[in-house]
Amino acid sequence: MEKVNKRTRELASTLLEIGALLMSSGASTGRIRVTISRIAEALGYNSELLVTHRALMLTLVEEESQYFFSSLKRTSPHGVNFKVVSGISRMSWRVVEEEWDIPQINAEIERLRSLPHYPRLVILLLVSLAGASFCRLFGGEVIEMAVAFTATFAGLYVRQESAKHAFNGYMCIFFGSLTASLISGASVKWGLGADPELAFATSVLFLIPGVPLINSFTDLIDGNIMNGLVRGANGMIISFAIALGMLGAMLIYNI
Amino acid sequence: MTELYHFLEMSVWLGFAALGFAILFNVPQRTLFMIWLLGALGGTTKLLILFAGGNIILASLAGAILVGILSIQAAHSKHAPPLVFSIPAVIPMVPGAFAYRMMLGLIKLAGNTGTESYSDVLNSAVSNGLKTLFILLSLAAGVAIPMLITRKESAKEIKIIK
Repeated sequence: MEKVNKRTRELASTLLEIGALLMSSGASTGRIRVTISRIAEALGYNSELLVTHRALMLTLVEEESQYFFSSLKRTSPHGVNFKVVSGISRMSWRVVEEEWDIPQINAEIERLRSLPHYPRLVILLLVSLAGASFCRLFGGEVIEMAVAFTATFAGLYVRQESAKHAFNGYMCIFFGSLTASLISGASVKWGLGADPELAFATSVLFLIPGVPLINSFTDLIDGNIMNGLVRGANGMIISFAIALGMLGAMLIYNI
Repeated sequence: MTELYHFLEMSVWLGFAALGFAILFNVPQRTLFMIWLLGALGGTTKLLILFAGGNIILASLAGAILVGILSIQAAHSKHAPPLVFSIPAVIPMVPGAFAYRMMLGLIKLAGNTGTESYSDVLNSAVSNGLKTLFILLSLAAGVAIPMLITRKESAKEIKIIK
């Protein structure tokens, strides 16, 4: 009995760790629920899960002895990381097919957690290129694209730096948006290129909350209305922070 | 012929816009090219429908549905969940210009009451805002549709090509 208890407790903390990781990396509520119950089932447990934006609650029932264990874990807001989402999804299938046990799962979580991000310069350059692409898509020419590239580069740099200094997440977005629109707004002020407004409108697009908004919709039609509303509100606040940054630049330049 | 070149050029930029967000979301390296391709295909579909005289909301929906279906196939071949492909790939279709115009309109409305231009400004702000809202909704819906109509919990159980 004691052995079963210990195993149940270990598994609960592992599963909550997986759930918290998925939540902070940008997985939808349905995905978290399916992944956790898949792993729990493979190890011979029934699981019930309560998912909220900032905390998870899990009850595990051992199928033979009916011993059950409940536990609660706070999730931390981190930022989208699809390497983790994809890695955990692959792992959950290997747990089922290769009959992994808890230590193997823990080792894999540790490995996924330590996977490196892309080099900072690569991120900055490619996201700036995406900003320039947006500008081209809306009809910009070379000069507007160069402005959008520079503005996105500086905006993303400021956002990363302010995130490093542990500012409030929405403040980081605001700083990024303000920096990008101050740079692209200068081109509007001095009339660089044929239609500088295009660069101004597209230089903040790297901040758009794509993952919160799409996950919000996924959760809403899945019936996880509460989580959908919370994620939608989060997306709205991010959009508002972006607009506030642009508004700041417009007031400074009086454009 | 020049139109063909125009669409080819646009599809390249659409792909790069998707790629930038893929890097920002830290996707696995093996999925990068597929995301570029899906972004280019989905966005070009939208542009082609617009070119043929279609409505922008329906065009975005069609592009997003294409991305949604292809992302399931990509999930099989690259071993990653479909959302890893579909979210970065639909972002180039986000209506940034409409959202910007809505915001400009709202700012104008906040500082301006009782003048003659009020109803014009209100009109364009609301129209741009509604377009933004509906396009965003259709992007999210289009991505979700393949999972909804197959009624499966995991993309692993969906087989498009048997």
